[in-house]
Amino acid sequence: MFSHLAVASSLAIGDMLFYAICFIILMWLIKIVAWKPINKMMQDRADKISDDIDSAEKSRDDAAKLAKQRQDALANSRHEATSIVDSAKKQGQQQRDGILADAQTDAQSLKDNAKKDIEQERQDALASVRNDVADLSIEIASKIIQKELSADDQKALIDSYIEGLGK
Amino acid sequence: MGDPSSVATFQFGGLTFNAANIYSGLIAFVLVFLFVFALSRHITMKPGKGQNILEWLIDFTNGILKGSIPGNETGAFGLYGFTLFLFLFISNQLGLFLQIAVGGKDFVRSPTSDPIVTMTFSLATLMIAQFAGVTKYGWKKHFSGYLQPFVFWLPISIFEEFTNFLTLGLRIFGVIFSGEMLLKIIGGLAFSHGIATMIVAIPLELVWQGFSAFLGAIQAYVFVTLSAVYISKKTEIGD
Repeated sequence: MFSHLAVASSLAIGDMLFYAICFIILMWLIKIVAWKPINKMMQDRADKISDDIDSAEKSRDDAAKLAKQRQDALANSRHEATSIVDSAKKQGQQQRDGILADAQTDAQSLKDNAKKDIEQERQDALASVRNDVADLSIEIASKIIQKELSADDQKALIDSYIEGLGK
Repeated sequence: MGDPSSVATFQFGGLTFNAANIYSGLIAFVLVFLFVFALSRHITMKPGKGQNILEWLIDFTNGILKGSIPGNETGAFGLYGFTLFLFLFISNQLGLFLQIAVGGKDFVRSPTSDPIVTMTFSLATLMIAQFAGVTKYGWKKHFSGYLQPFVFWLPISIFEEFTNFLTLGLRIFGVIFSGEMLLKIIGGLAFSHGIATMIVAIPLELVWQGFSAFLGAIQAYVFVTLSAVYISKKTEIGD
């Protein structure tokens, strides 16, 4: 064991140099081949992940904003629809009232006209009846009493009768 | 193995090299690189299988470092911890399934079963710790940390550095070395008396290999954890 170490120490420098140089070369090669690109990729990945997290946060905010907008628009349109329906109802009510009032006034005027016509008719009918009765009674009276009676007298007589009838 | 005569050595540029360490070290380095290279081919925002494994590993070693080093200072040591963990892990496992010996001399085994290799890494860790301390606090404040809690503590502080260096390197060496040693002994037992010993030895070998794989993983983890602890000690003396 000790003899081995003693002999080995006489060999030391060459082997040590060889290993030291080879190790440095190996480190350099690994640095070029793997260490740098992989560390760079790991760094890139870390950056990308943090970027993704940020952008996800942002899109979540955007989505929330959009949803709120939609909600607002929905509420707005509902409100608008309610107001439209209300105004339509009001208009309809107004129209109905107008039509009803018109119809009432029309009916009233028709009724008045009809009353007036009826009155007129009655007056006319009364007048013609008066005349007819007067003529008839004159004719009858002249036939009966064969006495000429003045038409005006007769008429006055009939009128007084009719007046009595009217009361 | 363990016997110095069992390793082939060669000279290059006035330095002595241990053939087994060089070969197995190269294999481990190449395996680590291929592993990382294969897993890091299609790096995308949505990770695939390979990328997931790699990212998990990076998170794992960063987690080890973060457990000891406070704040954002781990970034500077992340690559060191990651490479160290992968290399030690694969080195520890290498000897479990691949041991090549030619003519009684080892050529491929766990690189971490040689103290020189593990001490190289413990030395690297302690140097990084010193460096981190100096860059954070400056020379004066960093080395005044050795005089805490009082001036006469200096020898103990220096001795502590030395023991840190030794224990960090020798812990992983001891575990891996003894594990491979036992594997070899059980392997020798298997072939010693024909079929009968083989039947006994194979389950033993299986169990010990599984345990060694576990120990290898633990030791790689412990080495990185202790490295982080030593580095953090030097970067927060003021606190």
